[in-house]
Amino acid sequence: MVILQLIINAFSLGSFYALVALGFALIFGVTHAFNLAHGELILLGGYLAYTLAGQMQVPFLGTLPVTALAMVIIAILLQKLLRRVGQPYELNTLVVTFGLALVLQNTMLMLFSADYRIIQSAAPAIELPYTQLLLTRTQVILIGTSLLATTALYILLRKTFLGKALRATIQDREAAKLAGINVRRMSLVGFAIGGALIGLAGPLYARTTYLYPSGGTEASLIAIIITIFAGVGRIRGILLGGWALGIAESTTVYALGTGWRELVSALVLISLLLLKPQGILSRKPKAARLPG
Amino acid sequence: MIRTATSPAVLGFTAALLFFIFSPFLLQDNAVYYRVMTMTFFYGALALAWNLYALTGNISLGHAAFFGLGAYGSALLSHYWHLSPWATVLFGGMVGAVYGLLWTVAFGCLRGARFALATLASVEIPRVIIDNWESFTFGSLGVVGITGFSAVRVGSVSIALGESLKAQYYLLLCCTLVILLIHRQFIKSKWGWAVRALREEETAASMLGVNVHFTRSVTLLLSAFLTGLCGGVYAHLMGLIEPPLVFSLHISALPLVLTMFGGRYLVCGPLLGALILYPLDQVLFHSLLPVGHSILYGLIIIVTLLFFPHGIGSWVQRRRTFS
Repeated sequence: MVILQLIINAFSLGSFYALVALGFALIFGVTHAFNLAHGELILLGGYLAYTLAGQMQVPFLGTLPVTALAMVIIAILLQKLLRRVGQPYELNTLVVTFGLALVLQNTMLMLFSADYRIIQSAAPAIELPYTQLLLTRTQVILIGTSLLATTALYILLRKTFLGKALRATIQDREAAKLAGINVRRMSLVGFAIGGALIGLAGPLYARTTYLYPSGGTEASLIAIIITIFAGVGRIRGILLGGWALGIAESTTVYALGTGWRELVSALVLISLLLLKPQGILSRKPKAARLPG
Repeated sequence: MIRTATSPAVLGFTAALLFFIFSPFLLQDNAVYYRVMTMTFFYGALALAWNLYALTGNISLGHAAFFGLGAYGSALLSHYWHLSPWATVLFGGMVGAVYGLLWTVAFGCLRGARFALATLASVEIPRVIIDNWESFTFGSLGVVGITGFSAVRVGSVSIALGESLKAQYYLLLCCTLVILLIHRQFIKSKWGWAVRALREEETAASMLGVNVHFTRSVTLLLSAFLTGLCGGVYAHLMGLIEPPLVFSLHISALPLVLTMFGGRYLVCGPLLGALILYPLDQVLFHSLLPVGHSILYGLIIIVTLLFFPHGIGSWVQRRRTFS
């Protein structure tokens, strides 16, 4: 029974991680911008939801659209900023957003202080029938939102014309340009949708773990790990990667104690970078690529 | 092509050096000045050590690992074996270099953004281990009461490095000058040309006979050793270290900010960044925004990379090459 409960908790944690990673994966895939301020943006969304829920008594689900909209605006502004960055693009965006992460951390420190905050949930946990397994309201919302967001993004990318253009941009920018796709507009769209996903993840972050200004780095690392695990532009892989990481972390905490949890993500990231930098789940390219 | 000693950069450097040597005689016992300038030199030294490796084109976001390991190595050796701080600081540098050796083995083939990410993650490993190994490292309580630097006797005069702020000011000034000299030799020597060739085009450099892996590894080891040394000095100056303090993002980020701002391809660039930004942060921003004053550094990175990616030192440099 303990093992089953552990699996349920790992599953909900993994769904949360997948949700954290979705926005990053989309933005990185479409624009190749390495957004190290990703975690800080999620925290900002979390603090926004915390303020709304605490001071204006907005119900929890009501905060989601507000933060999503706010984050779309911020992501579009970020795209305008990163458009001006020179070559090498990946490394330079990494450094610029690293600076942005410092700015956001300190802004949150000024506005909300270094205290730990969380959105409390009053509803009791649900006991699943015939078993003694417990499922909290937060976990239900988490798994639901995560599955919903992943499915929506999957349908958007696979079944619509816009999605086709986005996927073409992810696969090969030059060829997409040749085919008449406005790559700059696609990067704007990528940032906007990514921003909405960040806005969804924020309130759930505030509900799941404690908010504190310097907690964003870990969220960024988790997003990067799952994106590299899945390979660029592979939405279902993100869900799998999230669950795998959730299970790895829960098992470590169960076996060794909470102090070692942070080590898991760092070790996984380093081994991924060393062993399979193109992503575990990515297929081999069908045709030989030209160098350069 | 005879470069005379009257070029503005050399003049400026000499003037600044004379100022920093003689200013204590004018200011007498201004504690704030000593404290701020000691830390300025300290961060300048850290930035110079960081830039040694950044010159090869790979940007590290994880030098806090070397710094923290140096600080812990030095502090624990001093705590358990009661050695003189001068010896333990060297040991701290060596601990940093050992971790640097691990980096060269593990991350030898990573470049650019992947390298930066791997280094960012590799800070967590020593931090979590030190945080959890309570019986040896005191965990999250940190090491307190680390002995300060012992007094140095020069002839009949005894300089109390442990207590006197003025003595610490001169100690850090000397440290920074030594690292600056290494940094200068690094840029001007044949080794510096090899490093520059690696940064611009690695394949072409190896065609011309640069041993890519060896050059990168030795550069990283030196950078790690000096950063570890700075960590050891920090531990003995402050007398207290704890994991979140020495393995912080701040320690990794600050050398990057200072170097980018000052000019990363210039001999004095990292130091120039420290001399301008740190006092600005401490004197001006700290009084305006007591909690979030590090916002300055974030803003500086963004503005620098967008508008003058070669740093403010390049303005002096460019004028000289044109004239």
